[in-house]
Amino acid sequence: MNTVLKEENNDLVMYFEGRLDTASSPETETAVAPLKESTGRNIILDCTKLDYISSSGLRIFLNILKSAKAKGDHVYIRGISDDIRAVFVMTGFINLFEFK
Amino acid sequence: MESIMFLGFGLDAWITIATVLGMFTVLLTTKWRSDMVFLGAIGILYVTGVLDAKEAFSGFSSTSVITVGVLFVVVAGLMHTGVLQCIVRFLLGTPKSYGKAVARLMVPVAVLSSFLSNTTVVALFVNIVKMWSRKLGVSPSKLLIPLSYASGMGGVCTLIGTPPNLIISGLYEEKTGQAMNILATTIPGLFCLVIGILSIIAMHRLLPNRKAPESAFESTGDYTVELQVPSDNPYIGQTLGEAGLCHVNGGSLIKLYHFDDIMSSVSEDEPIMGGDHLVYAGQIDEIIEMALTHQLVSADHHIFSMSEIDHDCKLRTAYVNFGSSLIGKTIGKSSFEKDNNVVLAAVSRRGERINEAPRDVVLEAGDTLLLICPKHFNMNTTSLKDDLCFFDSDEVPNIGYGTLISTVIMIAMVVVSALGIIPLLQCAFLAAAAMLICRCCNMEQAMRAINWDILMVFAGSAVLGLAIQKTGIAEWLANGILDVCGTNPLVVMTAICFVGTFVTEFISNTAAGAMFFPIMYEAADKLGYDPFPFLIALMISVSSSFATPIGSPTHMLVYGPGGYRFSDFMRIGLLMNIIILAANILIVNIIYPLTPQ
Repeated sequence: MNTVLKEENNDLVMYFEGRLDTASSPETETAVAPLKESTGRNIILDCTKLDYISSSGLRIFLNILKSAKAKGDHVYIRGISDDIRAVFVMTGFINLFEFK
Repeated sequence: MESIMFLGFGLDAWITIATVLGMFTVLLTTKWRSDMVFLGAIGILYVTGVLDAKEAFSGFSSTSVITVGVLFVVVAGLMHTGVLQCIVRFLLGTPKSYGKAVARLMVPVAVLSSFLSNTTVVALFVNIVKMWSRKLGVSPSKLLIPLSYASGMGGVCTLIGTPPNLIISGLYEEKTGQAMNILATTIPGLFCLVIGILSIIAMHRLLPNRKAPESAFESTGDYTVELQVPSDNPYIGQTLGEAGLCHVNGGSLIKLYHFDDIMSSVSEDEPIMGGDHLVYAGQIDEIIEMALTHQLVSADHHIFSMSEIDHDCKLRTAYVNFGSSLIGKTIGKSSFEKDNNVVLAAVSRRGERINEAPRDVVLEAGDTLLLICPKHFNMNTTSLKDDLCFFDSDEVPNIGYGTLISTVIMIAMVVVSALGIIPLLQCAFLAAAAMLICRCCNMEQAMRAINWDILMVFAGSAVLGLAIQKTGIAEWLANGILDVCGTNPLVVMTAICFVGTFVTEFISNTAAGAMFFPIMYEAADKLGYDPFPFLIALMISVSSSFATPIGSPTHMLVYGPGGYRFSDFMRIGLLMNIIILAANILIVNIIYPLTPQ
């Protein structure tokens, strides 16, 4: 699991690559910590190269969303594959996030 | 035989004494069938010539025994039309204090027991009271002894409420030719009931409070239920704590699986996702109510929307049969649900929770399954019948016109008999016939409802009473009591009732009634008083067995579920015996003043 954090047009973009599962969750949790600390910027979770997301991965996404919402910021998800979209549909998370 | 005398008794009297003592020793120390023991005792008395053929088998043609048998059919009609279930559902409610809970429980139980078999009523209430006690936050052991006591005290309120009353009134009618009114014991019985309820409330500290962790497990009738979060659930994204899904009344969430089958910790901070499987252990009614309020569904295949659930489904309870093909398997790994178009909602084993998801439970014979079935579900298919025994298969109460009709029949039977229009046995026959004609129960249900074992014990008890009387034992005992107590009728009545109350702790109430009838009758007769009030007092005292769990079959029914010890009954029961005896003697003498003959 690789994560890269970039700044694009004043937005914070986190790129995910590989499988976000239980095993990779702890390191991902650490990697996304700066997102939770930012204020006044939109957050984009780029899933173009994300192959799989488990419940632990969704929990990380949810925590980012909750912390951003508390500060009035937006979280967008972009580039999800059909398989990952199916997971979002089944878990009902499709209604929680905004998609680009 | 009469010529051989020893200590004032002939040989036949000694044979009777030995038979009675032997019989009760066998009953107390072995697990032999009580009906066979009574039959054996009758056989001994007949073979040894103590009783002739007519006397030995008179119990089987006794009107009181036949009345008990016919009443089984009347009660079957009430059971199958859901009258009892209706009463139970609407009466208990949610009282605010222990005192109110005791009254709320004891009054309806006593009223029902005054018309129905005490054992039937207690058996019906045991599980409900267990669940109710958890709802109220009271230990079941605080309510189950009052339940059993209420049935005993209610039973004495009418002649049909308890077999000793029928036996004693039947013997009285044979002796005097006068029938007792069906409500002869009502006022004294009600007075004793009120005193009993007040005494239990006052002495509630003497009832054990079994809330130790080890007993909490055994005293619950819990189910384990697996529920699923649909994809459109409004709580998705919230934590378990925020959504209030961690705890339900009388139970809690024990496991949580997310959609990827990874088990997560059950903590307040765990987020809820669509497709989550939540495994709850606790009271089934509370869990189902929580499932409805939180829009959770039974876990089967993944559900995307609540609208996919068939609102016409029905919950049915079934036991796993001995020899069932499901034994040793899990429902999750078998095609049972698919084959039969049902969904497993919960599993419980001997009334205890199983801390596993229902579909992962390796089933054993006797396990209780709660199944979600289509509304018009055919449970009589061969494969289902072999595997499961549906609790409500042909006994499912169809609440409707039948409920009303059976209630009217029962009330009519009591009123017509109480007014003396028709004798009780005829009334009972007419009521039983009416139940069958009005289809409140069918022939098979009626025959199945007749408890032949109990009838055999009643018949045997009546015959033993006869032997005690015929051989002069009753007269000897009556004389002995008069020698000790003098000629004051009140003292004699109290003394016999006192002995009766304690003897009935160890032998069946019916046997005590049959054996003490001749003693009480002889004693009253020798004093020159009308035996009627003496016998009313006797009826109440032989049914007042509060101090040992073996004193009444209803005590045995609550003994296990309440997690009781033998001494628990002694602690409150001995005092109850004395209090009810005092109330009994007082009220009987007020309602039926002693009159010299």
